[in-house]
Amino acid sequence: MDNPVWMVLRGLSRGLHLAGYFSAFGAALFGAVIMPVPGLRRLAWGGFAVAVLGGAAWFWLQTADFASARSPSAVLAALPLVAEYTRFGWLTLARLALLLLAVLCAQGRRWRLAAALAGLGVLGESWLGHGAAMTGMEGWFLFACSLAHIGAAAAWLGTLPALALGLCSGVSPMVLAQRYSRLGMLCVAAILVTAFLQYLLLIGRVSAFFNTGYGEAALLKLVLFAALLTLAARNRWRLTPALPASRAALLRAILWETALGVLVLLAAGVLMQLSPPVMAAMAGMAS
Amino acid sequence: MRLSIPAVAAMLMLAATPSAFAHAYLTKSSPAAGAVVGASTSSMLLIFTEAVQPKFCTVTVTDSAGIPADTGAPQAVPGHGNELSVPVHFSRAGKYTVKWHALSVDTHKTHGTFSFSVNQ
Ligand SMILES: [Cu+2]
Repeated sequence: MDNPVWMVLRGLSRGLHLAGYFSAFGAALFGAVIMPVPGLRRLAWGGFAVAVLGGAAWFWLQTADFASARSPSAVLAALPLVAEYTRFGWLTLARLALLLLAVLCAQGRRWRLAAALAGLGVLGESWLGHGAAMTGMEGWFLFACSLAHIGAAAAWLGTLPALALGLCSGVSPMVLAQRYSRLGMLCVAAILVTAFLQYLLLIGRVSAFFNTGYGEAALLKLVLFAALLTLAARNRWRLTPALPASRAALLRAILWETALGVLVLLAAGVLMQLSPPVMAAMAGMAS
Repeated sequence: MRLSIPAVAAMLMLAATPSAFAHAYLTKSSPAAGAVVGASTSSMLLIFTEAVQPKFCTVTVTDSAGIPADTGAPQAVPGHGNELSVPVHFSRAGKYTVKWHALSVDTHKTHGTFSFSVNQ
């Protein structure tokens, strides 16, 4: 199962899982800090469904890889072992249970509790990262970066579908856009800082963007992120001041942002299957 | 604050990287690579750069003719998530090659080999 096609499929299913997870969390967060607009609960359930679907595919493919299984029956036999004996297994199941709990809270309009529970599950993903697996100071530093990075990404990208929903509802688009832009700016700043720190620790040199798989996936993320930022800046400084006349244009831009956000997460899913260039170089030295 | 973030980043870049590793790679073992040990050796210890998942790690030991030594399943070492202990029994002297496959808690798999000798 060392086949690159399987590796990419694992990454894509992981990205899909994250996209669903983020949008369910984003729906709850939007309800808690911006406004509980109509339709948020359905959005949360939709996100949960995608998180379960992507999570199930990821779990299956990851189990096949762990157990070097070559047949569906061999994967099936290994599933309980992965669930019980690997951090990936129990953490993924626990995170999905947490999301279910969060969506149930959202169903009862307990938005803050829902956002807190889903947020915990979002951050939990960092525990599968290199920072959490490494020992020593740099492990802790990388883990902290990853927590802030994934938390900010989830708060920003995850709330985009909810914002689109809000713009379709009868709520004043000015109020929504103003409240949203503060959250957005904060998240973008956190993403930029943590992305740079992770670049220093995991990639280390510009040439690695072009000659390693990890670097290429990171570059793809960077390009998509730049496109997202362009759209977000246009929303903030061009379309928001022109509200309510620009409402349809703003909605269109946010749907584009959402689509780009999904692509960023799919690229992130693949990135997380790969070996960071800095570390790979050192591993080469060690062996 | 304006100074401290680049400063911290620069410090990390300079100071932290030499000991940083992603994935589980072997840092140390007992018997060590190239060592000569007695035939009474009954267990091996493998130490990795990251915590590993013993249920999905395999360690095999073969002599120069390719005949496997008796080995048990890799065991976790309580309190040391990055170590594996492997029961082993050598029935004759010779050079032995250890092939390990490790699964790290970060979901990535690694593998490697090393050799040592057993005398009478
Ligand atoms: Cu790894």
